[in-house]
Amino acid sequence: MSVPAANVLTTASTVPPAEAAGSAPRARGWLRSAEITVPAGILVLLLFFCFIWPMIYPVPKPVGGALQTVNLPLFSPGHIFGTDDVGNDIMSRILYGGRVSFEVAAGVQAIGLAVGGLLGMASAYRGGWIDAVLMRILDVFLAFPSLVLAIAISDSLGPSEMHVIWALSAFSIPAFARIARAAALQLRDQPFVVAARLSGTRAWRIMLKHLVPNMAPQLLTFTMLGAGLTIILEGGLDFLGYGIPQPTASWGNMIATGQQFISVYPDLVLVPTVFLLLTCVCLNMMSDGLRARWGVR
Amino acid sequence: MRRLTRSPALRVSGRRLLTAIPVLWGVTALSFLVMNALPGDAASAILGLDATKAEIRAFSVKLHLNEPIWTRYWHWFAGVVTGNLGTSLSSPQSVASVLGARLPVTLELVIYAMIITLVVSIPVSILCARWPRGVIDRLSLVLSMGSISIAAPSLALLAVIVFAVKWAIFPAIGYVGLSQSLAGNLHTMTLPSIVLAVPLIGFYIRFLRADLLEQMQAEDYIVTARAKGVTEWRILIRHALRNSFIGLLTIVGLNLATLIGVTVIVESVFSLPGVGFELLDAISNRNIPVIEGIVLVFGIAVVLANLVTDLLYGALDPRIRHVRSRS
Repeated sequence: MSVPAANVLTTASTVPPAEAAGSAPRARGWLRSAEITVPAGILVLLLFFCFIWPMIYPVPKPVGGALQTVNLPLFSPGHIFGTDDVGNDIMSRILYGGRVSFEVAAGVQAIGLAVGGLLGMASAYRGGWIDAVLMRILDVFLAFPSLVLAIAISDSLGPSEMHVIWALSAFSIPAFARIARAAALQLRDQPFVVAARLSGTRAWRIMLKHLVPNMAPQLLTFTMLGAGLTIILEGGLDFLGYGIPQPTASWGNMIATGQQFISVYPDLVLVPTVFLLLTCVCLNMMSDGLRARWGVR
Repeated sequence: MRRLTRSPALRVSGRRLLTAIPVLWGVTALSFLVMNALPGDAASAILGLDATKAEIRAFSVKLHLNEPIWTRYWHWFAGVVTGNLGTSLSSPQSVASVLGARLPVTLELVIYAMIITLVVSIPVSILCARWPRGVIDRLSLVLSMGSISIAAPSLALLAVIVFAVKWAIFPAIGYVGLSQSLAGNLHTMTLPSIVLAVPLIGFYIRFLRADLLEQMQAEDYIVTARAKGVTEWRILIRHALRNSFIGLLTIVGLNLATLIGVTVIVESVFSLPGVGFELLDAISNRNIPVIEGIVLVFGIAVVLANLVTDLLYGALDPRIRHVRSRS
C-alpha cells in the first residue's frame, strides 16, 4: 500500500497534536505498530478459517444436523462450540456464517465505493446544478430512515444474500457519496489539479489520476469502518427476519434463533456475538490505526 | 417586521425550513415508490390466505388500491397538506391516532437513552482527558471500541441474559405506560434505553476525549489559563469542555437518524409498543398510509433536529452566528 505523495506532505501538519505530542516512538516500522498489525492478523485468521479451512479440513456441514446431537454444550467432543436446537455444529455455522458476513461487507463496500464514490467525486468536481441536485438527493437519504429502505428492498427482492447486499447498499451509497464529495471539494482547487486542468487534461483523467489517489486514504479507512457497520447492520436485518433466510447460516440469524432459547442456552447467542464483535472491533481498530498513520481527519 | 427579517436566527431557520420542504417531499415520494414496488398488496396481506379472489378485489377497491400509484400518492399528499394523514388499512384507526399512541414510547426511549449517554460520556471523557494514557483512559478506550462494534440485537440479548435472566433486575419484555405508573415505566424502559445508549456512549467518549485533548495541548486560551494559575480541572471543564459542546451538538443531531433505526431493533427485542414495532407490522401488512406517516414523522424529526442544532450553534458561539448561515 503506497501512501500518495501529496498526502505524505500534508501528514505532518494534519496529525492531531494529541498524537504528535504523545508517545515519542511514533516513527516505528510498519510491522511493529501493533494497533494495525494485530487486528489485521486476526482478520486474516478469521478469513482463512471461514473461506479456506472448510476446504482442507472435514468440517461438519452447517445444515442437516442429526437429532441425536441437539443442544450439546460448549466443548463437546467433535463439536467445539456445541450444537444448536436442530443439531447443527455451531463451529461450522460460525465458519459458513462468517463467509456470508464477509461477502456482504465486501459487496456493500464495493457497491458503495463504485457508485457513491464516483457520484460524489464527479459531482464535487463538476459543481453547478449537478452538485446541487445530488446534495438534495443526499439530504433525502440522510433524513430517510435507511433501515426502512433496507427492509423494503430486501422484502421486495426476497430473502437472499445478494439481495441483502443490494438492501444494505442503501446505507453505503449515500455515505460514500458524502465522503467522496467532501474529499473532492478540498482537492478541486488545489494547485496541482488546477495545473492539470490548465494544461488541458480531460476531466475523467484528472479525476482518475489526480483526485482518486489523493482521496484513497480517506475512502479506504472509511471502507473499513463501513465494513464493520455493514456486518452489524446485516446482523440487525437478519434479526428482524429480512436478511439471510434459514437454514443458511449467518451470524445474525444464529443470534435471532438463539433468542428463542435465551434463558436455557445462552451460548447460542453468545458464540456468534463474540465473533461478530471480534470482527467489527478489528475492522474499527484498523480503520483508526490507518487513519492516524495517514493523517486522515 | 423589518427588525424581524434582519434577525439572523430567524433568517437561518426560515431558509432551513424552506429547504426542508423538498427534502421531506422526497422522503415521502421515495417511500411511496419503494413500498409500491413490494410484491403483494395490503388487501391480500390483511385478509390472509383464505380470502377468495373476489373478496380481495372488493377490498382493494375499498382501499383504493386499484387506482394508479400517482393518483394514490396525490390523494395522500393532498391529505397531508391539509393535515390529514389518512386511515390505516388494517384497522379503522386514523394514522394520526396510531402515531399518537406509538410515538410517546419511542420518544421516551430516545430521550432517556440520550440522557444516559450524556450523563455517562461527559464525565468519563473529562476523566480520560485529565489523565491521558492513564488507567481510566485506556480502559474506557477499550470499552468504547467494544461498544461501537457490537450489533444492537447482540447487545440487547446480552442485556437480557445478564439483567433479566441471570439477575432478574429488569423485565425482559413488556411495557408500562408513563401515565400508569412512573416507577413501572422506568422499570421497563431502563434496559432498552441502556441498550440504545451503549453504542452512543462509546462514540461520544471517543469524540469528546479526542476533542478535549486536542484543545488541552495546543490552544492559546488553555495556555493563557494555565499561565494564570487556573487549576487543570477548571480549565478542562470551564474552558475546554464548553468549546467541545459545539462539536458534540453536531454529532447529537446527526445521530438522531441512526438512533431511529436502532429503536426498531430494540423495540422488537423488548416488545415495546413504539413506532418501530408498528413499522415492522406495517411493512409486513403493506400498510402504506401508516408507513408513510412514520417515515414522514422520522423525516421531520431529523430535519428539525438539524435545524435546532444550527440555531444552537449561534447561541453557543456568537462567532458563527452570522457566518454559518448555510452548511
